[in-house]
Amino acid sequence: MLTTKTLAVFRKEVVDTLRDGRSIFAIFVFPFLLYPAMLFFISWMHMKEAEEAKTLEVRVGVVGGTELPFLADSLAAIPGVTAVPLDAVPASMDSAGVNAVLVVPAGIHQMIARGDSARVELLYKEADNKSSAAEARLERILEPLRLALTVSWAQSHGAHIDTPPRLVVESKDVSLKSEMGRFIAALIIPYLLMVMMAAGSMQTAIDATTGEKERSTLETLLATSASRAELLLGKCSAVIAAAVTGAVTGITGLWFTFAVVAKAFPAMGSRTLDLSIGPQTLILLFLTLLPTAIFLSAVLVAIGCFARSMREGQTYASYVYMAAIFLGLGSLGQQTPAMSRFYIPLLNTALLQREILTNSVQTAHAVAAVGVTTAAAALMLTIAVRLFSNESVLFRN
Amino acid sequence: MIEVQKLVKTFHDRKRGEVAAVQDVSFVCPPGKVFGLLGRNGAGKTTTLRMLATILVPTSGTAKVAGHDIVDRPADVRRSIGYLSGETKLYDRLTGRELLGYFGALASMSSGAIAARINELSAPFGLGDFLDKRVGKMSTGMKQRLSIARVIFHDPQVLIFDEPTAGLDVIGARAVLTLIQDLKKRGRTVIFSTHIMTEAERICDEIAIIEQGRILAQGTMESLRQKSHQNSLEDVFVELVGSVNADH
Repeated sequence: MLTTKTLAVFRKEVVDTLRDGRSIFAIFVFPFLLYPAMLFFISWMHMKEAEEAKTLEVRVGVVGGTELPFLADSLAAIPGVTAVPLDAVPASMDSAGVNAVLVVPAGIHQMIARGDSARVELLYKEADNKSSAAEARLERILEPLRLALTVSWAQSHGAHIDTPPRLVVESKDVSLKSEMGRFIAALIIPYLLMVMMAAGSMQTAIDATTGEKERSTLETLLATSASRAELLLGKCSAVIAAAVTGAVTGITGLWFTFAVVAKAFPAMGSRTLDLSIGPQTLILLFLTLLPTAIFLSAVLVAIGCFARSMREGQTYASYVYMAAIFLGLGSLGQQTPAMSRFYIPLLNTALLQREILTNSVQTAHAVAAVGVTTAAAALMLTIAVRLFSNESVLFRN
Repeated sequence: MIEVQKLVKTFHDRKRGEVAAVQDVSFVCPPGKVFGLLGRNGAGKTTTLRMLATILVPTSGTAKVAGHDIVDRPADVRRSIGYLSGETKLYDRLTGRELLGYFGALASMSSGAIAARINELSAPFGLGDFLDKRVGKMSTGMKQRLSIARVIFHDPQVLIFDEPTAGLDVIGARAVLTLIQDLKKRGRTVIFSTHIMTEAERICDEIAIIEQGRILAQGTMESLRQKSHQNSLEDVFVELVGSVNADH
């Protein structure tokens, strides 16, 4: 069905798109500005937070402090912490004028000596910056506190020790930087691909369809010898090209951010990801992307045919954009997605791409995702051609 | 040649139900003649011309344009026509050359034929200076010349002009009317809609006065004057349209 007329429409729409500042910005500039800007902003926020946390003055209420005399010295040794003796746990930390409360139960030594379990609690509010900063400061004395209580228990049973042996039981992340990068990439790349495809194709789709109506160029086009299907497929091809280009520049922008920008700034070095993805993986990502790009483009073009004005078209298209974000986000939290998820267009591609990036592709998932999306793309293309051939839709008031 | 037979077009309107935009319109326009559709805004001129250009499908009736039926062979009809509406705009982000090339390609012209045709039209239309300028940066006059060049670019046998002088100044309007007369001399079939009496008087060989989707009268200027015993086309028009509206 790709005739010379379809190619003529495709070429014209591509030229038109490449001369439209908004499309150029969305496809080519946005990813190379947005991602580095996001990285800079997040890093700046982290650094700022860390600096502020160092200088932040916090007040920690201590209930039962007399039970553990060394506690006062330990707290005094922590910079920026002021210990406030309290008789009981306050109903409200704010009204008690403290940011966190350390609670030592009365008669703790006797409890330990009897072999009862004893609990020392640090009460704080994660949702409160100052309170969580207080918790972070006091974290360093919790382990010594547990050791001191262990010594107390041992001494109550006749042991002559001042310090117990250091016994460490811990979990340790042994991921390589590249493995961590791959994991993070599998989380964010499928999501970003969905979003960037939608962002890249929106403007072109609406401009090529509703734009023709609004600029009063549609009649002239419909009076040419090209068939409605040839015209629409030419327009769809241009939108698909914009969608795929949007996705490719999106990923390139991400790589540029982590592999170039972040490495150029040592302060961000620790947060740099190793986003090395092999050519085979890239080809597979591209192949899974194609049916989705066709589907998304056909949906947007159909919307453009239906809409009466650019404003209406952009409003409808923004719903598609939000759906792409929503379905892309849906892929983030699913470690072992059910088979039914692979029947939902956009979400299925995001999930399949995650499997590709983590080398865990299941054949049934791949067949369902590609099959369903291809069928949905064919259906949407048919609907778009029908709408573009329907005068009551094209010329509705 | 254009042969129109009992052309009808109804639209569905939510509030008004079925609305007849064109009712039983019939006429013939032979090659080398200019046929004028004269009517007020909303009289049914644009709908009739859109059906002839196969942009809209008739509810009933049919027409033959350059020998092709508009219902059965719309692609052949479109291959034979050039369509220009006064409301039609051009693509602002394309250059003049790209625009003509685009419509040439849509008319199945080869790239060689497109280049040759651009050269051919460049001098008579004065396109040379702004062929490589973007349409959005052209003056109204330049755009007008480009629009006309676009319509005749693939050398169609039949030309459909829907109020082509709408929004143009005197010079622009005159250029369009001169083109129509030139096309007539070259044996092309031209159908032309307008609500400007002087334009119709000046260039049309035959005129149909249309109101509320129906043709009230049609014939040469002379025959219309004789039938209605009026001196000017404007008087003929006012009398016919006035009587229809008085009846309603």
